[in-house]
Amino acid sequence: MTHRRWATVVVLILGLLSGILLLRQTILGGGDRTWARIQQTGVWRVGMDPSFPPFENLDGVTGLPAGFDVDLARAIAARWGVRAEFVGVGFDQLMDAVVANRVDSAISALTVAPHRTEEMRFSEPYIEAGMVLAVPETSQLRPALEMAVGRSDAAAMLEAAQVLAGRRVAAEWGSEGDALARRLQARVNGDLRLVLRHATDDALRAVLAGEADAAIVDAISLALFGGDGGSPLLAVGQPLRSDPYAIVVPKHAPELLRQVNEALAALRDDGTLAEIKARWLRPQER
Amino acid sequence: MKSSRNSTAGVMVFLALLLALLLPTRSYRHWVEFGPQQQVITQNPKMGVHTRLTDEVEPWKIQRTLEMVRQIGAPWIVEYFLWAAHEPQRGVYDWSHADLVIDHAVNQGLTVVARLGYVPEWARPPRTNHLYLDATGYDDFARFAAAFAEHFRGRVKQIIIWNEPNLSQEWGFRPVDPAGYTQLLCRVYPAVKAANPDVQILAGALAPTLAPPGSEWGLNDLDYLQQMYDAGAAPCFDILAAHAYGWTFSPDDPPSADAVNFRRVELLRDIMVRNGDGTKQVMITEGGWNDHPRWTKAVRPAQRLEYTLRAYEKALQDWPWVDNLVMWAFRYPRPTGTYQDYYTFVGGDFQPKPIYLETQAYAEGLRSQSSQP
Repeated sequence: MTHRRWATVVVLILGLLSGILLLRQTILGGGDRTWARIQQTGVWRVGMDPSFPPFENLDGVTGLPAGFDVDLARAIAARWGVRAEFVGVGFDQLMDAVVANRVDSAISALTVAPHRTEEMRFSEPYIEAGMVLAVPETSQLRPALEMAVGRSDAAAMLEAAQVLAGRRVAAEWGSEGDALARRLQARVNGDLRLVLRHATDDALRAVLAGEADAAIVDAISLALFGGDGGSPLLAVGQPLRSDPYAIVVPKHAPELLRQVNEALAALRDDGTLAEIKARWLRPQER
Repeated sequence: MKSSRNSTAGVMVFLALLLALLLPTRSYRHWVEFGPQQQVITQNPKMGVHTRLTDEVEPWKIQRTLEMVRQIGAPWIVEYFLWAAHEPQRGVYDWSHADLVIDHAVNQGLTVVARLGYVPEWARPPRTNHLYLDATGYDDFARFAAAFAEHFRGRVKQIIIWNEPNLSQEWGFRPVDPAGYTQLLCRVYPAVKAANPDVQILAGALAPTLAPPGSEWGLNDLDYLQQMYDAGAAPCFDILAAHAYGWTFSPDDPPSADAVNFRRVELLRDIMVRNGDGTKQVMITEGGWNDHPRWTKAVRPAQRLEYTLRAYEKALQDWPWVDNLVMWAFRYPRPTGTYQDYYTFVGGDFQPKPIYLETQAYAEGLRSQSSQP
């Protein structure tokens, strides 16, 4: 066979394959069967483990799921004109449930797991739950710390440590906050006193009581901390360790992922996300 | 003719390149220096951690892990050695990875307790899983255990036979069978002793569970151990391996047949005594607490820290019949993305967690000067 004939055959095969792919995309909704099925049935199956208030829990009166993630799922579903149907799945099986297509997505205070991105996809973050440096609103350290941890990298840790040199930093004993505080301490050759407490709230109270100058806690605990007057402590700069929550979707659902990200952006822009946050992440009565 | 010479030269160059690419993988043991012989300095010689080096392939990471184990002050490790990896074909042994792990451990002054299991395909029926071993394979396993004991003469003195055989999933997804496990034990024991009489056989490593007789999941450890004795297990092991997880309870919570807590191991000890086996020691080859924020069996990080240190102290002071307490798990090669990550002492990047630093301070006798609340 001549080169010309070979070229013709190759072009024909490529054309045929392109036609099949185009037809498949047209029939299956952009090649995304999950999104096509959600559109077709009007139901978005959302996996969650309702045992993690205030993100998801079973309401004591109705017995139905309630919380930040529940409201978020409903708001997204409403934008699509479908209904969010919640499927209870144990926390450790949630991602596998998405991979196995038992649910269309998982929304359950799930953090991005980089080692699993070959099996599934993660949306843009919808809330930051990482470790933050908290100080009193009136703290004189605030401006310097804002400058130091205005970005999230290794240099920020060093600069934060230098600002905190000679000061006292509170954290929950054994926690990630404790680990970070010890790293700051090491960066200033021990010239930073650890104030360790048995619970995150106790670490924050140590700052309020003047026993510590700052605390390292997770952003969610800080948001929930306080009393009737609201939280008198503020997070400064960027998280020392970022740990955002995201929505998990199947690997082969690119259209669903695009729609989720678009919906999250829209909910952020129109203030819905802030409303949900204010509803569920307000200081708790103690 | 010239073309033929060119082709031959090309093939030679290709083969040389291929060889150069392959050589490092065959000689990876030489990538890191062993360094001088080390020793563990600790105030508690019963401290141990379960390492997870089975799937750690980089020699420097193996060395770093074991170095950090020494530095935490734990003289004991338990490590899992896969039968399928070390005897890929019947009678063909490959000890390269095990040699690497054990030589580095010994170099760091650590005592290795070797857990053996994981059945190769050639030793089990088709379409069974890697924890399935029926009676027809017991002699194969005994021969492997004997070969292991012989190869590691002077380097390994304790071998655990199987893991948690009282759980169906650990027994090849079959109903558990204490008599069958005892039969396996009694095939392995004489074979290992003949190969290396210095090696001690550890039996059991039973999962602490409340599963009643007839449960599809398994059988509770207390009934299972008694049934092992009933089946004649006593002369077929030297030491009982036990697992002591605390779940949400303090290490001082009293033991009870209807509770899974740290002191449940005392009930296993009672069964040994009742069966005339009270002179044997116990090794706690797994145990500890977990501080995952969502797992229902987890505790707060501060509790995990306190409980862990108290448990090490309890093993030292209160349990003369316990040789060591080995906490699960020192480090995983990569995150599991599950609650399991919250059992570890160091991160995958070797960053020590506070529990590592506090345990180290405890082993150094510096607890009173540490930063505890």
